[in-house]
Amino acid sequence: MVNIKINDKHITVKEGTTILEAALQNKIDIPHLCYDKRLVPYGSCRLCIVEVEGQAKLLAACSTPVTPGMSVRTETPKLLKARKTVLELLLVHHPLDCPVCDKAGECKLQDLAFKYGPAESRFKAKRKHEPADTGSPLVERDSNRCVLCGKCVRVCGELQGVGAINIIGRGFESKISPAFDEKLNCEFCGQCIDACPVGALGRRHFRHSARAWFLEPRDNVCPYCSVGCTVTYDLREGKIMRARGVEGKGINNGNLCSKGRFGFDYIYSEKRLASPLIKKNGEFRRVSWEEALKHIAGRIQAIKHAHGADSIGAIGSPRCTVEDNFMLQKFMKSVNSSNNIDSSARFGYAKIQEAVQMSFGLNRLPINHESPLGKDVILVVESDIASTHPVWGLNFLKAKKEGSNLVVADTRETKLTRHSSRWLRVKPGTGVALLNCIIKIALDEGLYDKAKTQKIEGFSFLSETVNDYPPSAVSRITGISEDILVKTAREFLTAKSRLITLTIGASENTKGLDTALAAANLVILTGENPSSLQMPAEFCNTFGLWEAGVKPELGGKNAVSMLYKPGAVKALFVMGENPVITFPDSKTVEEALRSLDFLVVQDIMMTHTAKLANVVLPASCWSEKEGTFINAGGIPQQVNHIVNSFGNSLADWQILKNLSKVMGAEIAIDDIKKLREEFKNNKSVEQPAKLTFNPVTYTAVGEYDTEFPLKMITGNLMQHSGALSCMSKGLGSVIADAFIQVNPADAQRYKIRDNGFVELSSIKGSVMMKAQVSDEVPEGTVFAPVHFSHARINHLTSLSETGSPPICAVKIKAAN
Amino acid sequence: MPAKKPTKTSGIKDLVIRVCVGTGGLAAGSQEVIDEFGRQLKSYGIKADILKKCVNKTGCRGFCAKDVLVDVILNGKSETYQLITPENVARIVEEHILKGEPVKEWLVGPEYHAFHDKQTKILLKECGHIDPEDINAYINIGGYEAVRKIFPLETFEVIEEVRASGLRGRGGAGFLTGLKWDLCSKAEGKPKYIICNADEGDPGAFMDRSVIEGNPHSVIEGMIIGGYAIGANYGYVYIRAEYPLAIHRLKIAIADARKKGFIGKNILKSGFDFDIKIKEGAGAFICGEETALIASIEGKRGMPKAKPPFPAYKGLWGKPTVINNVETLANLPSIITKGAKWFASIGTEKSKGTKVFALTGKIKNTGLIEVPMGISLKEIIYDIGGGCERNRKFKAVQTGGPSGGCIPASHIDMPVDYESLMGAGSMMGSGGMVVMDDTTCMVDMAKFFLTFTQNESCGKCTPCRIGTKRMLEILTRITEGKGKEGDIELLLELGNDIKLSSLCGLGMSAPNPVLSTIKFFRDEYEAHIKEGVCPATVCKALRRYTVSAELCKMCGKCFKACPSAAVTWEKKQPAVIDKTKCIKCGACYEACPFSAIL
Ligand SMILES: Cc1cc2nc3c(=O)[nH]c(=O)nc-3n(C[C@H](O)[C@H](O)[C@H](O)COP(=O)(O)O)c2cc1C
Ligand code: SF4
Ligand code: SF4
Ligand code: SF4
Ligand code: FES
Repeated sequence: MVNIKINDKHITVKEGTTILEAALQNKIDIPHLCYDKRLVPYGSCRLCIVEVEGQAKLLAACSTPVTPGMSVRTETPKLLKARKTVLELLLVHHPLDCPVCDKAGECKLQDLAFKYGPAESRFKAKRKHEPADTGSPLVERDSNRCVLCGKCVRVCGELQGVGAINIIGRGFESKISPAFDEKLNCEFCGQCIDACPVGALGRRHFRHSARAWFLEPRDNVCPYCSVGCTVTYDLREGKIMRARGVEGKGINNGNLCSKGRFGFDYIYSEKRLASPLIKKNGEFRRVSWEEALKHIAGRIQAIKHAHGADSIGAIGSPRCTVEDNFMLQKFMKSVNSSNNIDSSARFGYAKIQEAVQMSFGLNRLPINHESPLGKDVILVVESDIASTHPVWGLNFLKAKKEGSNLVVADTRETKLTRHSSRWLRVKPGTGVALLNCIIKIALDEGLYDKAKTQKIEGFSFLSETVNDYPPSAVSRITGISEDILVKTAREFLTAKSRLITLTIGASENTKGLDTALAAANLVILTGENPSSLQMPAEFCNTFGLWEAGVKPELGGKNAVSMLYKPGAVKALFVMGENPVITFPDSKTVEEALRSLDFLVVQDIMMTHTAKLANVVLPASCWSEKEGTFINAGGIPQQVNHIVNSFGNSLADWQILKNLSKVMGAEIAIDDIKKLREEFKNNKSVEQPAKLTFNPVTYTAVGEYDTEFPLKMITGNLMQHSGALSCMSKGLGSVIADAFIQVNPADAQRYKIRDNGFVELSSIKGSVMMKAQVSDEVPEGTVFAPVHFSHARINHLTSLSETGSPPICAVKIKAAN
Repeated sequence: MPAKKPTKTSGIKDLVIRVCVGTGGLAAGSQEVIDEFGRQLKSYGIKADILKKCVNKTGCRGFCAKDVLVDVILNGKSETYQLITPENVARIVEEHILKGEPVKEWLVGPEYHAFHDKQTKILLKECGHIDPEDINAYINIGGYEAVRKIFPLETFEVIEEVRASGLRGRGGAGFLTGLKWDLCSKAEGKPKYIICNADEGDPGAFMDRSVIEGNPHSVIEGMIIGGYAIGANYGYVYIRAEYPLAIHRLKIAIADARKKGFIGKNILKSGFDFDIKIKEGAGAFICGEETALIASIEGKRGMPKAKPPFPAYKGLWGKPTVINNVETLANLPSIITKGAKWFASIGTEKSKGTKVFALTGKIKNTGLIEVPMGISLKEIIYDIGGGCERNRKFKAVQTGGPSGGCIPASHIDMPVDYESLMGAGSMMGSGGMVVMDDTTCMVDMAKFFLTFTQNESCGKCTPCRIGTKRMLEILTRITEGKGKEGDIELLLELGNDIKLSSLCGLGMSAPNPVLSTIKFFRDEYEAHIKEGVCPATVCKALRRYTVSAELCKMCGKCFKACPSAAVTWEKKQPAVIDKTKCIKCGACYEACPFSAIL
């Protein structure tokens, strides 16, 4: 701690604190414009100048660290005068177009001018007249309003790791611009917009749509991934106009990705469902809630009569709240006496949960937003964290910047591989072999925690199993040289602290249960806690869905047994899910759904699955109802009801509660409070950890025949999440169309043009889409983002019922 | 060409011909002169191997106004020719070399000798005398002795020696070099770096370029000494890409030094490793500022950062780094070989050694000079510089380039050292000296420098980016006759606030030329604003275009030059300009040989 004086007030602050931080912490105001807590001090606006005793020069408070005994003055006549001049200079240079500037009312320059500014200017002078950039998606730039505080440049480069914009030119002509004055081509996270203190950067879709003082801010949890960022939504007349991150709020501390910042508008999609529909003679007919529920009750009861309770099944949703999902499982288990309930997590998160149970004996893996920070070595296994969990991804970049050795094993070039200390460009789906190889080296070289681990169940089996994975063999499997394998392993094993990270999302096909088990084996062997393995849940409420009990227990059927065998169930409830598009091998799923006696779909829009249903129920979506999301770290967060629900839609839990009542069930739930209480009482208790080694072997995923010579990786794009984000016009303005990424060499071989149409086929079927020729994928591999329902990429994919990754073999040809 | 009849060549026992081939020399055609000497000597049958020895390529010798300079040293007796072109060579060979009769009218005059006599040469001593592309030439005059001398010493002993010499940084601020090294040597972090700052961005400055072109090994040796002292194994020379010859010679020098084992691994079996890389800068003035320079080497946009942390603690790639100017470094070999005491005996109490200046502007002998610290301005301007061109009245001198200020004639007895210059509102800077006479408009001069700094401002901080622009706008309107009451006060206020609040040295010093000219020549500003007159008749918009009957010699040149028939003139009559017809194009003004048009 350091003692200093500011304006004669004695203050104690931590070493390394800057004068400005010290002042702000102690409620002493020093005007500032270019300072941002998240960024390295920059010192460009010069508004924060202060006098320090014994120093002839004035110092910028934001970039001067305190020193013991320092005595600072913030308001001397000399300072006030110089500060006023600086502000005056900013103002004369700034266009006076506040009446047409979206920032008016929340502009830092306006505020400062009001508080400190001169009444009139001593200068009449030239301003800039640059054309504004209004042609880029989502982000608009008007450099005439720019005060060159450099925040956007620094946020983009330092924090976001993109570096899409910089200051170009010198002197008065300096300005912010993408390289070579081109249009913006970046992540479109919008972080720069929120950082900009003036109206130089703005949201394209918000332009001229509301004055700041008419906006009503309401906080909510982001509806996309499991990071669970807090977003501040600004409403006008009950409609969300824009979303922003606010420093100091939420786990994200003001950071947001493009989904969180621009993706909220899906709730205003014209595809929303307004009233219940019943299908008659192949046509949907609008009906009242009463009629719909009565109809459903009758049909369910009849089917139960004829085929027994086990013929009823349900699919829950990671996009719905804990309350919705809890009510669904209650509806199944206690109203219908059926344990047939599952979700898309079957193809993703369930594998993580299984591995966590088997390896650590735990119900929940402790996931922490800060976990990457301060780790010596971070090993990311075939996972594109910066796309699936963008704001968490920022902490990986930060860790790297602060000195962590970030090793990323991935076939594809991603943001994370670009920022890695070492990129292991492994062949797809070979993570298990890589991890086994590290285990083998640990055992051979004695680089593991002998005392702790030799007695753990499965140890000798593990050492036997990994004998097949010496660097020489694994080099052949992964394509990484022996040297690098050994070097990486040693760095990992001898590090003081380490982290392994991987995601298993429903749409990701390069990892399976085995990958998770192999990673767990390695973590246990090094004597680390389970928290050294970070395998987060996928969507905003994947974790909550699991906690709510949307999983087959006590012999219930899971998604695979319900949806891939026609006749396995007779009636199915689908809540907020679109299996026909998002589940693997979707043709088989479609057949199963078509063969049902009765299908009920409750959703926010008319999905491909809903089209097959007998009854479709309109659900309110996030922000139109109250509820809870539990994020990857297990933190329950309140979802707020901030806008009116659309049409006649109702919250999913309410629909199910009403239906239960119509069916005559005795349930004591009339409001959400009761539901929550019951959920709390039902929650499983964490058991003590029990460590077990579960040795796994690498199965060569298709040493493919000549017919399907390419491996197809499926995965995520940074600006999308599941299929939900495709309903957002904002996000759609960045990428709206499906594509398949093909390496230039393959493109040449198969005569494929960039942007040309191709036919892509697997053993399961074939689809058409555009090709994107790019060396982000290596030769022999293609990559397909899974978000775009019209592309039907899951017509090609398969289930994996063993623990190996469900990689898909395909062939490609140009379509004419 | 048929071989000429061999005249007596037996009298030529020892012939050395030195031709100035610095950038100035090369521009003036020294390569052609060298070639011509080659051809001529060959045609007289003087053998080729003698030829090679004869024609040394020497670095800059400072007397740029008289390029190409050629020394002919015949049997130990040296004569220097000035303003030599290839056409002159035949006669020199014929009369001087063959007959032993120097061509008197081409020899340098007394001003050449005066130019040299008041100077004390440490850095420039060998420039122009040794072949900069031959490491042996440097070794023969005692080069790399200093490197041999330091290795048996502890690093702190080397630092102590430098500290005792009193050497201060020649790059601008005049920070004690020994102290800077000491801080860096004690700073935590590895590896450490030493950077030679050869950005030299001041307009008109070419001291650093000349030192590198003339004696590159002295800079390299200085870097090795510095590297050893602070514990750095890597050095960078940050040099502007517009200096291709300096870069070329530096590359040769580094390669040769590596071959000879002065740089590389385990230098002279001392266990000390040191290597040097060249980093070419794009020539932005701001990249000479040390934190911007570091950013530029790191591949970022050259923009300064707030200090602290100082580079000595956190510099290149966040590691302890010493940045020294070319001239600072080139002083080190002599300090080590001749000792701190010797160095400290030159100069004043607080400013030791010599300083190289680039003398330019309205002065007779323009060029590079090296003088002991503490010499008076008068000696520089009159004894070395020979006074103003055309014997006009000396008015002021601008030191420190665009960051410095101007010193008026009334201060002519002032000693030239760090403190005195600072006290007068100027600074040492890197060593530019622009001399002004009564034909210089001080407002225009201030505008010139401010235009430079405004264009070169990195754009990062508000006062510098916008403030200098606003000052420039005010200056411009004053020079256009649109100045207003209160403009001077506005310039003073704004200038002081910019100095106070800017982030880096550029902004903190950018107003200096304006502030110092207001301080010493306020009447000129006032004349512009209140009377609409530019006393030096430089500002076009303020010229009255009247003919001074006193000065007019009735030559009629103005009459012929005027495109608008505004001048009436008859033989033996002074010219008269008709204001109603005058379009203020300035043609007559340029044409008048007697400055009679006001
Ligand atoms: C705008 C600006 C430009 C500068 N340009 C140069 C330069 O061209 N060469 C130089 O040696 N120092 C230059 N400096 C000074 C350097 O920042 C630094 O102080 C110097 O290189 C240190 O070396 P020294 O201690 O040997 O003088 C400049 C400083 C400023 C503020
Ligand atoms: S939107 Fe994000 S990636 Fe694009 S320029 Fe702004 S900060 Fe950079
Ligand atoms: S655009 Fe905004 S954030 Fe970026 S430099 Fe300009 S004022 Fe600052
Ligand atoms: S998608 Fe995830 S990372 Fe992005 S804003 Fe939403 S919660 Fe945060
Ligand atoms: S906040 Fe300190 S200089 Fe801008």
